[in-house]
Amino acid sequence: NANNFYKTKADFEVAINSAYATLYTIYAPEEAASYGELRSDDATIGSVAGAQADKWAIRDYTVSASNTLIYQYWQEYYKSMFTINNILDQIQTAGLDPAYTARVQGEMMFLRGLYYYNMVQLWGGIPLVTKVVSADEAYKIMRSSEADTYKQIVADLKFAVANLPLANAVPAVGRASKGAAETVLGKVYLSLGDKTSATTVLMDVYNSNQYGLLTSYASLWGATVKNTKESVFEIQYLGGSASNPYSPYWTAFAPVTNGVITKYGGGINQVTDDLYNEYESGDPRRDASIELGYNDAKGNFVAIKFPKKWEDRTAPSSGTQELSNNNFMVLRYADVLLLLTEATGDPQYMNQVRGRAGVPAYGTAGYPSAKYGTLALALEHERRVELALEFHRWFDLKRTGRLVTVLSAKGKAINQNNQFFPIPQYVITQNSAITQNNGYN
Amino acid sequence: VFILTFLFCLRVSASSYSQNIRVTMDVKNMGLKKTLSMLEKKSNVRVLYSEENLPDAVQVTMDVKDMALPDVLKEILKNTELKSQILDNGLVVIVPKGTEVKDLRVRGRVIDDKGSPLPGVSVRVEGTQFGTTTDANGNYQLTVQNGAKLTFSFLGYANQTITVGNQDQTINVTLKETQGGKQLNEIVVVGYGTQSKRAVTGSIASVKYDNFKDRSNSNVTQSLAGQLPGVSITQAQGAPGSLPIIKIRGTSSITAGTNPLYVVDGLPLENFNLNYINPQDIESVDVLKDASSTAIYGSRGANGVVIVTTKLGKVGQTNVNATVEYGVQDVTRRVKMMDAQQYIQYYVDAHNNAWVASGPGRLATDPNSVRTSAYKIPDDFTTNPGQFGAGTDWQSVMFRSAPLQNAQLSVSGGTEKTQFMFSGGFLNQTAVLDANYYKRLSLRSNIKHKISDHFTIGSNLAFTGIFDRTDGTAGKSDVVSLGLQSDPFLPVYTETGSLGFRDPASVWYRFLPYSDIIEWHPYSLTRQIDEKNKSFNTLATGYLEYKIIDGLKARTSINANLYNNTFNSYANAGQAYGYSAVLPAQGVVRNAYSLNWLSENTLTYDKTFGKHTLNVLLGYTAQHQRDEASNLTSNNFPNDLVHTLNAGTVSSGSSTASEWSMVSFLGRVNYNYMNRYFLSAAVRRDGSSRFGPNSKWGYFPSASAGWLISDEDFMKDQQFVSNLKLRASYGLAGNNQIPNYGPVSLLGASNYVSGGTLASGLNVVNLPNDGLRWEKTAQFNLGVDIGLLQNRINLTAEFYNSVTKDLLLNVPVPDITGFSTLLTNIGKVRNRGFEFSLSSRNLVGDFKWTTDFNLSLNRNKVLQLGPGNAPLLFTDFVVQVKTEVGQPVSNFYGYVFDGVYKNQAQIDATPHVAGTTPGEPIVRDVNGDGKIDAKDQTTIGNAQAKFGSAITNTFSFKGFDLGIMVQGSFGGQITNQLTRYLGIWNGGRNAYADVANYWRSESNPGDGIHFKPSINPTAMEQAFSTYWVESATWVRLKNIRLGYTLPQTWVKHTPAKGIRVYVNAENVHLWSKYKNFDPENTTYPATTPSTSGNPSGAFYGVDYGSYPVPRIITFGAKVDF
Repeated sequence: NANNFYKTKADFEVAINSAYATLYTIYAPEEAASYGELRSDDATIGSVAGAQADKWAIRDYTVSASNTLIYQYWQEYYKSMFTINNILDQIQTAGLDPAYTARVQGEMMFLRGLYYYNMVQLWGGIPLVTKVVSADEAYKIMRSSEADTYKQIVADLKFAVANLPLANAVPAVGRASKGAAETVLGKVYLSLGDKTSATTVLMDVYNSNQYGLLTSYASLWGATVKNTKESVFEIQYLGGSASNPYSPYWTAFAPVTNGVITKYGGGINQVTDDLYNEYESGDPRRDASIELGYNDAKGNFVAIKFPKKWEDRTAPSSGTQELSNNNFMVLRYADVLLLLTEATGDPQYMNQVRGRAGVPAYGTAGYPSAKYGTLALALEHERRVELALEFHRWFDLKRTGRLVTVLSAKGKAINQNNQFFPIPQYVITQNSAITQNNGYN
Repeated sequence: VFILTFLFCLRVSASSYSQNIRVTMDVKNMGLKKTLSMLEKKSNVRVLYSEENLPDAVQVTMDVKDMALPDVLKEILKNTELKSQILDNGLVVIVPKGTEVKDLRVRGRVIDDKGSPLPGVSVRVEGTQFGTTTDANGNYQLTVQNGAKLTFSFLGYANQTITVGNQDQTINVTLKETQGGKQLNEIVVVGYGTQSKRAVTGSIASVKYDNFKDRSNSNVTQSLAGQLPGVSITQAQGAPGSLPIIKIRGTSSITAGTNPLYVVDGLPLENFNLNYINPQDIESVDVLKDASSTAIYGSRGANGVVIVTTKLGKVGQTNVNATVEYGVQDVTRRVKMMDAQQYIQYYVDAHNNAWVASGPGRLATDPNSVRTSAYKIPDDFTTNPGQFGAGTDWQSVMFRSAPLQNAQLSVSGGTEKTQFMFSGGFLNQTAVLDANYYKRLSLRSNIKHKISDHFTIGSNLAFTGIFDRTDGTAGKSDVVSLGLQSDPFLPVYTETGSLGFRDPASVWYRFLPYSDIIEWHPYSLTRQIDEKNKSFNTLATGYLEYKIIDGLKARTSINANLYNNTFNSYANAGQAYGYSAVLPAQGVVRNAYSLNWLSENTLTYDKTFGKHTLNVLLGYTAQHQRDEASNLTSNNFPNDLVHTLNAGTVSSGSSTASEWSMVSFLGRVNYNYMNRYFLSAAVRRDGSSRFGPNSKWGYFPSASAGWLISDEDFMKDQQFVSNLKLRASYGLAGNNQIPNYGPVSLLGASNYVSGGTLASGLNVVNLPNDGLRWEKTAQFNLGVDIGLLQNRINLTAEFYNSVTKDLLLNVPVPDITGFSTLLTNIGKVRNRGFEFSLSSRNLVGDFKWTTDFNLSLNRNKVLQLGPGNAPLLFTDFVVQVKTEVGQPVSNFYGYVFDGVYKNQAQIDATPHVAGTTPGEPIVRDVNGDGKIDAKDQTTIGNAQAKFGSAITNTFSFKGFDLGIMVQGSFGGQITNQLTRYLGIWNGGRNAYADVANYWRSESNPGDGIHFKPSINPTAMEQAFSTYWVESATWVRLKNIRLGYTLPQTWVKHTPAKGIRVYVNAENVHLWSKYKNFDPENTTYPATTPSTSGNPSGAFYGVDYGSYPVPRIITFGAKVDF
């Protein structure tokens, strides 16, 4: 039990693993981050067996405060926070050497900053918990303002940047690095409109010599492609056994009841024609990202578009799950380059990404400038196709303030209030001092 | 026997001895009786007389000194018409003058009305203390005087008096059983001892073997349902071997377990599976209901205690009993589902309605070519639905008429020194669900041996092996539920012989593109999965009793229960295309082990001092249990030939272990005065590993009193009330069914991957609670027992009020702590109730008719909950149960539907959800705020019945006996969770037949209950509402049994001593409006303590597709040798 744990470095290494394991929940295919994709113009839900109103409500911006999925996300984020905060509390009193302590704190604050950044985008200002709190204490913690929430996020990430090693010096592949913390911090600065600070931290990543683009976009994907030089922060999965943390994306993103390519499909994030048509002609990224359908058991082709990036067709299966091996990149270097263009206004970084894809550079003759007349629009387009289905689209549109404009132009019934989820009704029932977001009362 | 011998020894010399006795006596105006009594004391000679012969008026005055006895007698009797005579045996008899008194030898045999000899019957000369008892064969002999009256009496039988004639003779007597008398003197098993029913001051329901001997249930408690007021025994699932849910006097816990404590031959076991005790081995089941009776079991007594006592042979002749039974089981009550034609129309309408609603300009007549895939309809459904006919009735596929056989053999008997019982039984039960079965072998040896006057040892050893396969009881995703959901237009077999349309070689494969065609073929789960469950249970008790001095006895015992279980399953690759996905082969092995041991040491002191009787008990016990479980899963099997895990590759596995231990001290004093005033007080102190470090030990006291009013002198002169007893008790008992490690902050595995390999991770998985302890139930019980008209009518009425506090609750805490709940002792629940039972012997004589009736009602109310009394709301697949202060536990909580909107005008006129169209449900604006939202949810039912009742009529004539039992439950509700699948369009599943009466148009509005189907049902249509809740009121013809005991005139030509044949029918007929199989069905067991998430007990009365309770008819024969 907990009383004889949290003593030695070995104990902490085991505890830290459990903190990283929270990534499995936060970035799971049926979680809030993924449902951000679903709420955008990139994806929809396949015909889900036992269709639940709660899922459709998220896609259709009709969520109510009693939506059970929203409450589930809330619980899962704070559950993860407990694990992180508990390690932070424990290492403070463990008396281990200061360098080790600082690095562990850096890793935990990286995760906390990352999660609170996700949460502030999902809900706006939230109750900030930075240590293990008792039930009585919890009743006294109210929502912080959005600005104060960001302050906490920046503080956490700054600490992480200062105390984490470069990618080539992390204690194990997959652990948080300085570059990862800087990338998230850069994004946070962009969300805050602070392009100067964003430029500083992102340029630090750019100049760190730790990362680069792979030569081909297609080679980024596959069950055995892991932790390449393009990867900045990557969730580590291990397929092959039901008792391993196997990768859930392939099963979840496959069409429902296909019964051929997977035993059971989740039908989550089925690709819209709108995304498919976003690609410029000849852009190889389209076919590397999107499957057009599958062959059924008789060999007949069933047309339905779904994500291709996490395919693992040879994975063994257990029950209804494929025990896939694919990792999931939360941050990758192409993202850094596109953020740099966003921060600096200089298209050269974006053009490196386009160059790898073999499509004409922005500002050159072949570029479809009729469609994407400004750099901002070009970036919006570029992020959409480069980072397609990697859970970025909704958050990108939100960061750039384009959410309602873009989505309502596509006939979606979205309004300003929909940019945030409601605070779960249960949270307010329990502590009526917690305030609700606009439009959900 | 002893007295008889004594009398004969005295015979020869006694007469002359008595003649010579000399007496000195001085009396004045003394009555005859008193004078004779004084004479007896002075002379040491017994004087026999009939009181009615003594004239009341005669007063004796005399003063004699050293006078010979015959002369003294003459003096005493001088003013009467009486004379005295000194007999050969030295006794003095006083008879009317002119009567010749002589000694006669009387012998005979006493039998009961079934012809069995009765040992131990008291045979007494009326008006005297002289007599004898019958021996093991019911024989007696006695020397008496002519004209004496012999009274034959035996506990539980009506006395008989016979006047002896004038010569040596044989008097054979048949004694008739009495109901009331039997009850009063019956021995009742209480905690750590026994009591006569007369002395019981608590509330104990006792059932003897005879009450369940012909019943065909594998679990004895199933046979007790309806026989015990205040004890609700619910057959939640009908699979053979599935455990009934037992609740004694209401629901006292929300989160902790609600199972009673089982005590089998002295071994207290939590959550014991009584299937491991062969009902034929059971002598009695005693249920302790009130807290004063259960407090002796301390922290485990709050849910009531079920004491099971197994048989032991009786002194006397050896009994060999053989029983054979053959039975057949059927599911007589089916769920009315749509047939293929109804389903196809439903499918087409659901797609068209949704298509039309999905965008402007879309028409129901649009062909598939313009529709997106979810809205497409198979051509077969529109062009030629007739080809499917009525389709497949999946219930006929999964259920069958299933035979059962049961064979029992037992040998019992004993001598004064040693008594024994050996038995063996084999039950072979095929289940009504395809491929399911249940086989049980049980062996038992009970032996008790008296080593010397001081030492007695004994052992009970029972082994039970159960081999079974049970599917269909897990609800939602198990065979029974899935079978109902399967679409009726699909065939049992495709033309290729496979089970489903996913077979690419079959013409049915054409339905594959329609993702909402649903098939879970029952055979794909029963025949394509090979399953075996093997359980072995050994229950052993060994004890030593030491009589230290008269009345003081020490007893020490060691008990153990050892349980092992292995479950193997192998699912064929693809499951013949009958499952909703073509799954790969998978093998699973699960193992479980449990060892529970108990050391029990008691000291008892039993003594009568004149009119005071005292019984003292002191005890110390220690108990420990360890549970282990492991499982392994294999995948990637090359083919389906070898089903063991080594044929594939092991893909996952785990093992767990947990332990608890408990140490207890107990004490009890029972006291009575004149067997008329009874007092009892007990206390137990329990220390348990489950409790927090700050609350390791608990005290559980109790006290009770009883007054047998009918024994008072002022009651002697009336004939109407033959028995009247008042009882009152108060006690405190606990419920320790909380998680083994609740107080501890536990670490759980949460692994990550590091450097491409699995890296162990551990994190804290619960908030610890140092003060965690048991739930406390304090109960007051008031009872009255009344026997009328010589106990022809017996009534018992009881009232109780019980308050459970320190309720173990997973109190909701703000989720920002990282947890949703904290296991805390907080909250209060009250149960108060009334129990009534009546037993009446309507007809006695050759044709007998007895009626037993009982009624129980319980009112349950939550008095207090966690901080701020925040209500507890649990949700399980849409169904919500809410527990709030002032209400009974677990109210169903949802919207109220008031039918279906007929047209737009009606919608416009009422509060409604935006976008509501005609044909959608009318949702009641409960709070009247003019809009429909979450605030309009309200209480829409509760599973707790208002009252339950049962009546049993028993008739017997000659050798025939007939019993008919009708049981009913009134005023409760049941949530039909299958509504989620079968009441609302859900991904293409089949639906109830009455759903076909759905709204089609304004001019064809259906039955006004069923809304228009759509493949995109609205959120409100899918929400939990009154649409899901049904009345759980039911009446059941629970049991009929007809037996015939062959007359001795026939039997004596056979080697047997007695032969009885019988027919027993269980669950004969059910009157209920419930849509699914049975309103007693509950999917979630009420037993498991829960650390997080939904406590299963909260969902009592929620049916998510349960196994139907079959009708079972058995034919049996019992032969005694």
